[in-house]
Amino acid sequence: MDAMLADPLAVLVLAHADDKLLLGHVQSDWTGLGPLLEEDIAASAMSQDDLSHALILYEFLGKRFDLDPDVIAFERAPEDYACCDLVTFPDEFDWATSLVKRWLVAVFTGLGLERLGTLDDADLSARCDRIMPEQRLQVAHLGNWIRRLGSAGGESTARMQAAVDRVAEVTGTLFEVPGHRLEEDETYCCGRDDLFTEWNGIVQATLAEAGLTGTFTLPERSTVGGRRGTHAGHFTEQLTEMTEVRRVSPGASW
Amino acid sequence: MSGAANPVKPLEMTGNEDPDKLAEFEQRIADGVLIEPGDWMPQAYRMGMLGMAEHHANSEIIGALPEGEWITRAPSMRRKLALTAKVQDEVGHGQMLYRVSQELGKSRDDMLRDLVMGKTKYHNCFNYPAPTWGDIAMIQWLIDGAAIMNQKTLADGAYGPYVRTMNRINMEEAFHFKSGEDMVLTLMSGTRAQKQMTQDAFDRWWPVSLMFFGPADKPDAEQRPAMRWRMKVERNDSLRQRFINRFAPAAMDLGLVINIVTKDEQGLVTSTKPDEGLVLDETTGNWSFTEPDWDEFWRVIRGNGPCNAHRLSLRRFSYEQGGWVRRAIGAGSTSMPPAA
Repeated sequence: MDAMLADPLAVLVLAHADDKLLLGHVQSDWTGLGPLLEEDIAASAMSQDDLSHALILYEFLGKRFDLDPDVIAFERAPEDYACCDLVTFPDEFDWATSLVKRWLVAVFTGLGLERLGTLDDADLSARCDRIMPEQRLQVAHLGNWIRRLGSAGGESTARMQAAVDRVAEVTGTLFEVPGHRLEEDETYCCGRDDLFTEWNGIVQATLAEAGLTGTFTLPERSTVGGRRGTHAGHFTEQLTEMTEVRRVSPGASW
Repeated sequence: MSGAANPVKPLEMTGNEDPDKLAEFEQRIADGVLIEPGDWMPQAYRMGMLGMAEHHANSEIIGALPEGEWITRAPSMRRKLALTAKVQDEVGHGQMLYRVSQELGKSRDDMLRDLVMGKTKYHNCFNYPAPTWGDIAMIQWLIDGAAIMNQKTLADGAYGPYVRTMNRINMEEAFHFKSGEDMVLTLMSGTRAQKQMTQDAFDRWWPVSLMFFGPADKPDAEQRPAMRWRMKVERNDSLRQRFINRFAPAAMDLGLVINIVTKDEQGLVTSTKPDEGLVLDETTGNWSFTEPDWDEFWRVIRGNGPCNAHRLSLRRFSYEQGGWVRRAIGAGSTSMPPAA
């Protein structure tokens, strides 16, 4: 585990995997409670995508560092998780917040995995190739909902704008540099400025079509947040819940 | 999951139907011809099938709730994925069954409103608590196992859309059952704490499983419309016996003890003693058993079970919080239901 957490590429992969795991985990609270049965089913499919994508990436790390993917997913100390605060941001069962949050993350992850897939590692590239078609589908599906509900007018537009405003403050956390055990100059940040510019361009275009506005800023490279193990308080609660059953019999098969 | 084995309002003919059309309808059923939405059917049949499909749909989406609450605590990636997919399937079954019901003349929004306002019911078994991971294993093994037994008979019914939906649902339920069986087997092969968790959950769900099929039918059930028109094709007691014959030996093989239990108001077990009435009749191949507490069954179905209020309030919350989305896309729900 220590070797993995000290490896710059592994930490970058871990950041995407942890985003996926926690996003799928938090979103699964909605299973059976979505606003429409059809969208409940679609959201559940996207949660399964996210969890599967996390597993694909944990398997890559497991293979490389001789670790059980479940141990990577469930048995790290809280500070060793590299997810950002946006994915764990509580939506308080507000569908607009859930939707905006998932969409912002999906656009980011799509761009991040595209870049990850270009690195000189055939196994990692193949795994990113497996993920990308589903990721693109998520971006398209969620983007359509942003446009539809944002442009619907009245209550719907107001709720969607409020959701964008609510998450705007933590959205920059997507771009934090990961890895609390790495020196700042060791981190593998994959063209962070370019990534933000491209992400912001896509996001702003969709928001404009939806009649919504949002201002997002790239955090300083030195910012320490979830990606560097300093998580918001709600993350600890989510992790405690996620590992509750596993802790009944540590090391057991489930 | 199935909602059709619970008692439904008895179907009676109104006496106003065209006797020639009624005779032709009954002959078609006797000949094994499926009845389709555009076909002539007695009003009592239409209302009966609507009630049955709606009840079943309600059960699917309410049934998603106890298991859905455990996705966040599933103890491995594989289990987390499987449980998410399983609960998604249940919501999907609800969607398919609401479509069947819609074709019989009731809008989806009316059905969802009636559910959250307590005007329509769902299967009784979802009014019981699932306090541990072991309960999730038992729901998938025992309750889905019971559902498959029941729904296989419902797939031999006469109403085409419902029959076809049952066939699709049963394929997915078979996966749920396999998943549950694997979970129980894993837990019973595990640590002492895992085995105890599983036995405790089994104690909670075994009596619920026996009640799953509903109380005994009337002696003349075969002559009454529900069976004559093949809305149901097997007696509740017969299904229950088949379930016990299948699951009692399987449970004992796994090392589980079949107990008679008493429960508190929260549905938690307060005392257990082995069911000494559980004996295999070598001649018939049937296991005898101690009848479950039917007073409890009626208490729960009337709304006084451990989780009735919680399940319904969660559905109501879902219905209300999603209202703005449905209004925005013009999919019904233009107003909130009055307070229950």
